[in-house]
Amino acid sequence: MEEQTAVQENTGSRQAETAFEPPKKRRINRSVLAENLWGWFFVCFLVIGTTAFIYFALVLSVWMSFTNYSNSSGTTLWEALKHINPNGWGYWYKFMFSPEYTADGTALSGTGINERFWTTLLNAVIYMIGIPIGMALSLFLAVLLSRDIKGAGAFRVIYYIPTVASVVSIAVLWNNLFGNEGVIVELFGTRFLGGSAFMQKVTVVIMTTWKGLGGSVLLLCAGLNGVNASYHEAAQIDGANAWRIFWRITMPQLWPTIFYCIVTSVIGGMQIFSEPQLLYGSYLVGDASVDVTPFVGMIYGYYGQGNYALSSALGVVLAVIIFLLTLVQFALDKRRDA
Amino acid sequence: MTEVINEMPPVENAGEGQKELNPFFKALRTFCGWFGFGIFGATSNKRRRKVFYDVITYIILVFFAFIMIYPFWWMIAASFARNRASMLDTVWWPSELATENRGGTFFYHYTNIMRIMENNNFDYWRVVLNTLIYSIVPVVIGLITSTMAAFAFAKLNFKGKNFVFFYCLAAIMVPGPSIMIAQFCVYSELNWTMNGLSMIIPGCFGAIMTAFFIRQFLFSMPTSIIEAAKIDGAGYWRIFWGFVMPLAMPAVMAQGILSFIGCWNNYLGPLIFVRSSEWYPLALVVSQLNTEIGTNVDSAPSVMALAVLALLPVLVLFAVFQKTIIGSIMLTGSKE
Repeated sequence: MEEQTAVQENTGSRQAETAFEPPKKRRINRSVLAENLWGWFFVCFLVIGTTAFIYFALVLSVWMSFTNYSNSSGTTLWEALKHINPNGWGYWYKFMFSPEYTADGTALSGTGINERFWTTLLNAVIYMIGIPIGMALSLFLAVLLSRDIKGAGAFRVIYYIPTVASVVSIAVLWNNLFGNEGVIVELFGTRFLGGSAFMQKVTVVIMTTWKGLGGSVLLLCAGLNGVNASYHEAAQIDGANAWRIFWRITMPQLWPTIFYCIVTSVIGGMQIFSEPQLLYGSYLVGDASVDVTPFVGMIYGYYGQGNYALSSALGVVLAVIIFLLTLVQFALDKRRDA
Repeated sequence: MTEVINEMPPVENAGEGQKELNPFFKALRTFCGWFGFGIFGATSNKRRRKVFYDVITYIILVFFAFIMIYPFWWMIAASFARNRASMLDTVWWPSELATENRGGTFFYHYTNIMRIMENNNFDYWRVVLNTLIYSIVPVVIGLITSTMAAFAFAKLNFKGKNFVFFYCLAAIMVPGPSIMIAQFCVYSELNWTMNGLSMIIPGCFGAIMTAFFIRQFLFSMPTSIIEAAKIDGAGYWRIFWGFVMPLAMPAVMAQGILSFIGCWNNYLGPLIFVRSSEWYPLALVVSQLNTEIGTNVDSAPSVMALAVLALLPVLVLFAVFQKTIIGSIMLTGSKE
């Protein structure tokens, strides 16, 4: 009711404005004001949440990385934030890139974690070899599912089951299936979880690929449904075979979906933590051997030791790495178009 | 070269071929003919060829479906095994069932794990209640706040809308592990880590991805409904609660189920944010018991039983709502 009358008043005053000289004071349009206020009210929760739990935390993370805050500081967080690290504000960043060992291999205590830093980063990259394999497999399955066969929907549901399953339950299962006495080990004759560091990583890659297959199959199925069928008919009439149609017509139209899948899985792959942590358990503490630790394992490893400042610094580095990786991927995609 | 061969008229090819073909190639030709392939000049059969390809497709799809399903079957079968040895030997069904244990019933390990949890100072129902609190309260409240934001982004005009939209969109880029340490420090200053509030309050402010998904859905809803409601004198809250919310229900439900599943399975969040074992959710208890007693001779199948218990609600929910879930994920894919 209020707004209705407001609108009427508004149109009335506008007519008056055109007819007579403009009034000195600009009237506030009440319906526009109401819409503004309500609009802000509706978004305010999301904006407050984003600001408080993401942006504020990000700023705090950067700030904490310049301090020397740890669980043994004996002060509150707010108190600790007032004091910059006594060793210099960039101490933890220097610490990350300072060598851990001398030239003859003896450990330097408390000087740096350079070797560990690069090993864990390399491990995180190795865990990502599942991404191309998974993409190829899911593309293959999605193409098979896009043939007009009966029961495609049922297959889609079945492939998605591992994705919704709890990662902890799956890890318990994997521990038993791929453990030294497990069925898979006896079937293949090689040791997986009890074997070399490489085979342990392979076990994790098998798990993440198996678990992530369903999601990309679904996305690619949706992408294949969106591929324009009239081009296929035209190409068929022109005498192209199925292989050629796929590479020349389907793939270019499907590329945005594939690219989206790759970008999201690389971002997720850099953050891999739960799967190796659940499978190896105690391996991931910062000081122990880091043969299989992913990069994020180091962040939580130092968090577990209570060195919050160092783990924040590592977190900031992770954010920068992921941002750069995403930029690189988009740049490569641009070049492909040109 | 291949193109030239393809363009050769088949009749000529057949005439030449039949003279020189030896019995082996003749047999091969007949064999391929059954599947609809015309080689060495035989005529091809489109219908037979489609059946042939369909059969191969089914074989591959069923093979992968088997790979996807088998571990779950193994898990359920293993939870009925007598002890660790017979569990690890299981391929289809354990050789020795839990009924062979002293005083054992078929569900022996499911009752045994409750006893084990009690000995470890966990109450099974309390743990389930924690998990339910963590996965219902933030999801329901978060859905309402997300839909509110989605409604404003899709249907209202207010100053700074685009800025706010991109402000929220950019937050997706911040990786979780980078900020979780800072979040933990703040939550522990606020004492949220000791009473489970750290898993409840942040979720209540809505999730960005949920809001964007519902916003996409609301774009397809006609604005005239809102205009009509406005003219009839409904306030903005009334429009939201009485029209937008019910109309967006399919999208809201899909997102709600997905977030419920995500919260139920959440492991990393409680691992970092919950510091009091009284407030542990199921995922943490499963992983803790697995590291403690997962390799014991008697209790290994019991841990497997607990893993099955942690898995079942999600699987049942997925089975019931599979159409909604798959549909919403496919929709995300086609939006790209």
